[in-house]
Amino acid sequence: MSTVTKKACNIKINGKAASVPEGTVILEACKQNDVPVSNLCYNRKLVPFAACRTCMIETVVDGKKELVYSCTQPVAEGMEIRTGTEETDRYNKACLEMLLVEHPLDCPICDKSGVCPLQDNTDMLQMFDGRFEIQRRNEPSIKTNPIIEFYLNRCIMCGLCVRACDEIQGVQALDFHKRGMSVKIGTANDEPLDCEFCGQCITVCPTGALMDMTSSARGLAALFTETHTTCNYCSWGCTIKLESKKGQVVRIEADENYDVGINEGNLCAKGRLGHGIIHNDQRIESPLMNVGGSYKEVTWEEALQAIADRMQTTVNRSGPDSLAGISSEKLTNEESYLFQKLFRSLLGSNQVTNLANARAPYLNAFMLNCFENGIVSQPITKLQEADVALVFNSDLPSEYPVGGNSIRFGTVFSETDLLIANPRKVVFDSRAKIDVRMTYKHGSDLAVASRLARIMIDNNLVDVGKAKSAIPNYNDWVQSLAPYTAQAVEQSTGISDDVLTRAAERFARDADRFVIVGNDILDTNEGEEILNALLNLCTLVQHGSTGSVSIYPPREHCNSQGVNDMGCTPEFLPGYQPAKDSSGDLFQNCVDGTLKFLYIAGEDPIQSYYKPQVVKEALRTVPFLVVSDIFMTDTARMADLILPSSTFAEKDGTYTNMSRHVQRVAAAVIPQGLSKPDFDILIELAEALGKPFENTDIASVQQEIGSVAPIYKGVFPGDKSVQWKPASTNANPQFRINGTSTGQNGASGYPFTLQTNNHMFHIGSYSQYAKALVDIGPECIAELHPDDAKELKISTGDNIVVESPEGKVEVKVKTSRVTSRGMLYIPKNWTTVPVNALRNGEEGLINVKISKASG
Amino acid sequence: METNEIPIADPETEEEEIDIAPVEEIIKNLPDNSRGHLIPTLQKVQDVYRYLPAPAMELVMDFLNVTQAQIYGIISFYPQLRITEPGKYIIKLCYGTACFVKGAPIIGDKIHDRYHIRPGETDASKLFTLQTASCLGNCGAAPMALIGDDTHGNIDPEQTLDVLGEYKKDDAEAPATEEATV
Repeated sequence: MSTVTKKACNIKINGKAASVPEGTVILEACKQNDVPVSNLCYNRKLVPFAACRTCMIETVVDGKKELVYSCTQPVAEGMEIRTGTEETDRYNKACLEMLLVEHPLDCPICDKSGVCPLQDNTDMLQMFDGRFEIQRRNEPSIKTNPIIEFYLNRCIMCGLCVRACDEIQGVQALDFHKRGMSVKIGTANDEPLDCEFCGQCITVCPTGALMDMTSSARGLAALFTETHTTCNYCSWGCTIKLESKKGQVVRIEADENYDVGINEGNLCAKGRLGHGIIHNDQRIESPLMNVGGSYKEVTWEEALQAIADRMQTTVNRSGPDSLAGISSEKLTNEESYLFQKLFRSLLGSNQVTNLANARAPYLNAFMLNCFENGIVSQPITKLQEADVALVFNSDLPSEYPVGGNSIRFGTVFSETDLLIANPRKVVFDSRAKIDVRMTYKHGSDLAVASRLARIMIDNNLVDVGKAKSAIPNYNDWVQSLAPYTAQAVEQSTGISDDVLTRAAERFARDADRFVIVGNDILDTNEGEEILNALLNLCTLVQHGSTGSVSIYPPREHCNSQGVNDMGCTPEFLPGYQPAKDSSGDLFQNCVDGTLKFLYIAGEDPIQSYYKPQVVKEALRTVPFLVVSDIFMTDTARMADLILPSSTFAEKDGTYTNMSRHVQRVAAAVIPQGLSKPDFDILIELAEALGKPFENTDIASVQQEIGSVAPIYKGVFPGDKSVQWKPASTNANPQFRINGTSTGQNGASGYPFTLQTNNHMFHIGSYSQYAKALVDIGPECIAELHPDDAKELKISTGDNIVVESPEGKVEVKVKTSRVTSRGMLYIPKNWTTVPVNALRNGEEGLINVKISKASG
Repeated sequence: METNEIPIADPETEEEEIDIAPVEEIIKNLPDNSRGHLIPTLQKVQDVYRYLPAPAMELVMDFLNVTQAQIYGIISFYPQLRITEPGKYIIKLCYGTACFVKGAPIIGDKIHDRYHIRPGETDASKLFTLQTASCLGNCGAAPMALIGDDTHGNIDPEQTLDVLGEYKKDDAEAPATEEATV
């Protein structure tokens, strides 16, 4: 897809004709044509390294025979390739034989047993009769961090972990140490590993030298039951492999096979280590009824009948509009569909929403505006072939870690230009040749986005005439950019115009562009204007330049996209067909007493909604509250009835990721205790209401969704995901006039602005229950610039009190140059540090003051 | 055999306060922050401190944008680079074939008996650091060793301690160089 097109090379592999793109290395060409070649150190996501010397093949070009290493030698036109000849086998076998001399051969207790490239190669080369005496290494294993065990006796020095850590993850926590016979991989001076704990090193390790200590089983990995499913944390939508043994999920692995998932075998700490939520003794295991303040276990029949009765009487007494529901961004599409159907069709209420939409209904509008402007956006799998990636206000390693992996791949193999705009100096190490950092003043996002567009027009970086004729309100829009002069923007953002010009030049050129927008823009009070400004920017290049542009709305959780697609919003029915909405703010309606019944499916608004006070009051006031969830959240504690629901590993369905890929969720184990998937709960609730749904299994509900919402017709996946496309591609481009920033309200006496978002190891209300994630991210630590800290006489490890006009919290602090001066960063994932209390419903940046905690 | 192993950094050494101004000066004089300057920079820093102190490495890592694992990967690759403060005199004991045959191991043992150090180690008084070398190219004078800047050839293994005894901790000047007779 990249603007550089590659010629095809015609080659012959073992006599069979094949055609592969120019520049492909021979090993990759063989793999693509299902011809096995022995190798141990090759990975298609990494730069060739040629460490193991076991991939020799024979080539014949113009009648000249050569023996070459297939992992580094590219194909040539007319090349004849022969694999596994007597001669190449002899060389490859000799190298393998050396590796086996020292290898422990302790396969029965090895995590790679049966899925081990070293075993596979030994078998492939028939290396059964070693000439040397085996001298097993027997060093103790290194377990100085909570996640990754180093058992270096099995290490064959292929360097895959070192390279993955560097090239894929950009962390470089591992390297080769010493040399010659005593060389080994590890950390500096054998210090405990302190990294992003993505575990890519475990995935790529061909021998089990690196092991996942969170796995509850050792050895015989080949006998684990594998279930491919979609991760339930962020909205990137990685395909993960749940490995289970005797009905228990033991670990999560990545699948590096071709075309499996959008993530190509990359995972982050959350995705890999977050399986602790599945088998967890803190889960709710039975329906619970609140009887005078204490919870009594009841049967499902009793619970569902009580809900159905209450629903019916509420409809009869106060009308259907007195019932409301909040679906979760973590429910499957099928569950969210049934949820809104329950409210709309069976009860007659349109008051069904999700928390992201309740806060920022403009996200859906933005997505639809993109379609209208002719920007349909490519599948996210194409990100790694991008020419330009603009990362706008997103801390990739925390927010979309695997998105970061794709971009890094692009910087190596497609020469992607990297443009990062963020108020913090976010860490993102890559091999980008062009790496423009726009570190702007917190809250000045709109000025950055607007100025970029104006530079493109002023400097004629795009075909202005073409854009003008394509877009009717071009002149009005250009006029709205007038305030964004170089001087004014430099003043408000703190970025020099040269930097912005350089970014604009790279973005405007003929290229395939991807724009990733972070969820932090929601906290600026100008989210809608910022998205519009970015859309205008994209529309300008779409119609005024060549190439393509893709932009995705910021989505936080695994199914934040799907829950909206399924119509769990008061504004839209499934498939974004407009609904008549006259409901107003749901929580306020509870407080006002107009809502008599609230059903919250798998969400914890007390912790995660930006108005905790109003939510608490709403939940106290509403006469009947039903909560279904996995764990006992603060919200569940206020419910009249609690329903135990299932984790993602115990249910079937689909999630839709932020780039609209509909991906499969598959059950690996049976639900714990008496818990049930929300799908089953909703089906049975409809029965208890006496109005059963006609479709009661996943497949037929999917079919129903496809007929109700045409955009979902034919996109339900088998084992491959499909990106849904808007029904109409009739572009009707239009600029949304850029607003002017109202400026952030700087309350006097509160000199700092607060930034809160997801911690690298936590997201949503579940990750705190995963032991491994708590082990690596145990406590909430705020970050402050060292110069600010010095002025306040605060040092790393101190406790500070953070006060806003609305509330205060106490938190531990560390100094970090990532966070700019005048900013305080606090991750939002700890219930002990409820940062939303500082916001308490206020829009815009939160102004805070900081003081050292006493004692 | 393990040779020239660099001992694990002593935590006490790392906490020691050092004056980092010379490192700042070295970094300031680099033309840019390309990684190609890493090894020359490490050599210059070692010229100043005689080893590579951790606080100095932090500055180099920051400026050249290398991680801790990478910089210590490089340092551990080259025996020339040290992360602990060596003794006043570095003994490079030749372990080449000729020296080996003519008694280098005996010299090593004698040093160990007196100073309790093996290759890669520094004695408690920080007078000597012992290293071995594969061949110092002076086989005619075997067994031989370099002590500080001095070359000693045709060492009688039994007289090892007499040779070393000439070196004192509080010597202002090193003893006059004895050229080996070939």
